[in-house]
Amino acid sequence: MIEIRNLVKRYGSLIALDHLNLTIQEGEVFGLLGPNGSGKTTAINCMLALLKYDKGEITIMGKPMRPDSYEVKKNIGVVMQNVAVFEQMTVRENIDYFCGLYKRDKVERKRLVEEAIEFVELGNYTKMRPGKLSGGLLRRLNIACGIVHRPRLIILDEPTVAVDPQSRNKILEGILELNRQGSTIIYTSHYMEEVEYICSRIAIIDHGRVLASGTKEELKNMIKTGETITIEAIVLDQVHLREIRSLPHVFDVSYEEQILQIRCGKAKHNLVRVLNYLQGKDIVFGKVFSELPTLNDVFLEITGKALRD
Amino acid sequence: MIVFRGFLKLVRSNLNVLILYLVVFLTICIAMQLLTKGESMENFQEESLNIAVIDRDGSDLSDALTSYLGRHHHLVEIPDDLDVIQEELFYRNIYYVAVIPAGFEEKCLDEGEKLPTTKIPGAYSAYYVDQQINSFLNDVRILKAAGYQGKEIYEKAGEVQEAENKVELMDKNGYGGEPAPHAFMFQYMPYIMISVVCYMISYIMIGFRQKEVRLRMQCAAMPLVKQNAQLILGCLFLGALVWGICMLMPFLLYGKDFLRDTNMPFYMLNAFAMMLVSLAIAFTMGTLVRRTEIISGIVNVISLGMSFTCGVFVSIDVLGKGVKTFAHFLPVYWYETVNEILSKNIEFTAGQKMSIFQGLGIQILFAAAIVCAGLAIDRRRGDQGY
Repeated sequence: MIEIRNLVKRYGSLIALDHLNLTIQEGEVFGLLGPNGSGKTTAINCMLALLKYDKGEITIMGKPMRPDSYEVKKNIGVVMQNVAVFEQMTVRENIDYFCGLYKRDKVERKRLVEEAIEFVELGNYTKMRPGKLSGGLLRRLNIACGIVHRPRLIILDEPTVAVDPQSRNKILEGILELNRQGSTIIYTSHYMEEVEYICSRIAIIDHGRVLASGTKEELKNMIKTGETITIEAIVLDQVHLREIRSLPHVFDVSYEEQILQIRCGKAKHNLVRVLNYLQGKDIVFGKVFSELPTLNDVFLEITGKALRD
Repeated sequence: MIVFRGFLKLVRSNLNVLILYLVVFLTICIAMQLLTKGESMENFQEESLNIAVIDRDGSDLSDALTSYLGRHHHLVEIPDDLDVIQEELFYRNIYYVAVIPAGFEEKCLDEGEKLPTTKIPGAYSAYYVDQQINSFLNDVRILKAAGYQGKEIYEKAGEVQEAENKVELMDKNGYGGEPAPHAFMFQYMPYIMISVVCYMISYIMIGFRQKEVRLRMQCAAMPLVKQNAQLILGCLFLGALVWGICMLMPFLLYGKDFLRDTNMPFYMLNAFAMMLVSLAIAFTMGTLVRRTEIISGIVNVISLGMSFTCGVFVSIDVLGKGVKTFAHFLPVYWYETVNEILSKNIEFTAGQKMSIFQGLGIQILFAAAIVCAGLAIDRRRGDQGY
């Protein structure tokens, strides 16, 4: 569906995209992850031909993507991070307007507008102006405007920012439904659990490069962490911590406010070894948790824990 | 035509602004015309003052002068006492005192001596009495020089002064020398055009120029050129609508008077040029302004600023030299120049024709320059992604 090869985009001396390579297959829900300033939005802008790039090539649906690639654009829907609607038009008028930029036939447009309204469940608000809608409804309107023309490729840039959990859940279900109906989805978000929930494949980019890509499982296998053990209500001294760190497969130990966190590599019986050590030293402990790596662990391990702008 | 239809939907939601401005404008126009009706004719009305003449000469000249002044003013009898004179002047019982000194006849006729007078400082009407006295005494001297003798001089001078000079304003436009009544309406028209068009178009353009909306439109399957063409069509449609309504107003208010004015096509053409200028300003404003809250303030500064400096609210004739020089750099000034010529003439001299076409041409050039500036700024802001 999308093929990006050696994409380079510079803003003066700053390299926003550094030989970026990406392949997105038809029917995928593809997650694009990266810290702020990593190049996600620049990559999307280039894909949509909103930005000129310095080098490389982008092919969408087998055709090179240029500002005048209207045949390709017909099959792309975009849901921006910020709500992009007209304040002085009603919900229905907004959806109809953006549909009209793709579909000329009035009858077809009317049908598509009705379907989009039904899809985002805004049937009771069609005559309202956006200013009267809540944040969640506004996001749903934003999505409806982006997908009303039934595109084969939908790009969603953080569509759930500042949305309550119920609306967020509704939006995520809607995205999965769109995918089931045949649309390929590119999804960017800072919410790891969302990406983990809906994306079939993920690319983590930073400094304009793809650092890792693959399915969730593939990404989790790429990192060192195999298991994170957390033990609550425990009193330890520096000697104990040193000894725990020297246990087999343990590579990171932290101890704060009577909570011990141990990160271990991929190996069997990590938890048993730790508990045996504590019992052998007569150390009293409370609750014990053992978690497999999450996408958040993958993201932090690959992009680092340093704060970004 | 989805973009054009979208534009019209936004026009519809701003119609209240158009109606509000039109009602205010019509009210101001009618009120101004009622207030200024026949004002120029009243300026020539003669005024009679309470004046006093103290005759210490007792000559034929002093008698003739007193009688002449008595025919034009109310003569108040007061004693020849400086304190009394000052008191009467102070309390505004009299506005003017002419003291004819002894031997004034000889001195006036032979040596051209002037009559000593006292008047209330700053009372402009008293200066008319000065003029009347000087005029009478001049006539007396001329008549004497012409060979008239004795009382004959004063009788003749009285006759000369009483002769009425019929003043008639030159009627160059069929309205008795007064500007055509609908010319007032056209004089104020730039204000309403700039205000309504700038307000509405800026408001609508801000909607279309919102970063996210613009990017969504850029991502669409409709070519940008087509989208922009439809937006321009929308602006022109709105301009034509406002222009049409503005042209309808003189028809409604002045009916046949306006229809029989042979300058009607020029008035309409001039207003059309002004409409193009208004559209250009509105387009550029819509490109520059990003927040709806500040539209009203900017529109007021532009429309009122140009109206006050270019002869919309006051005639160009009464503008100061500096203001006039500055106004040359504003399009409304050229509109008002053309309107002024149209309001006072039916047939034009070659120079006036030149001025009319020059005014129209300059307005169109202004419109083109303003649009180019707007486009240049818009282009600079492009290619930024989101």
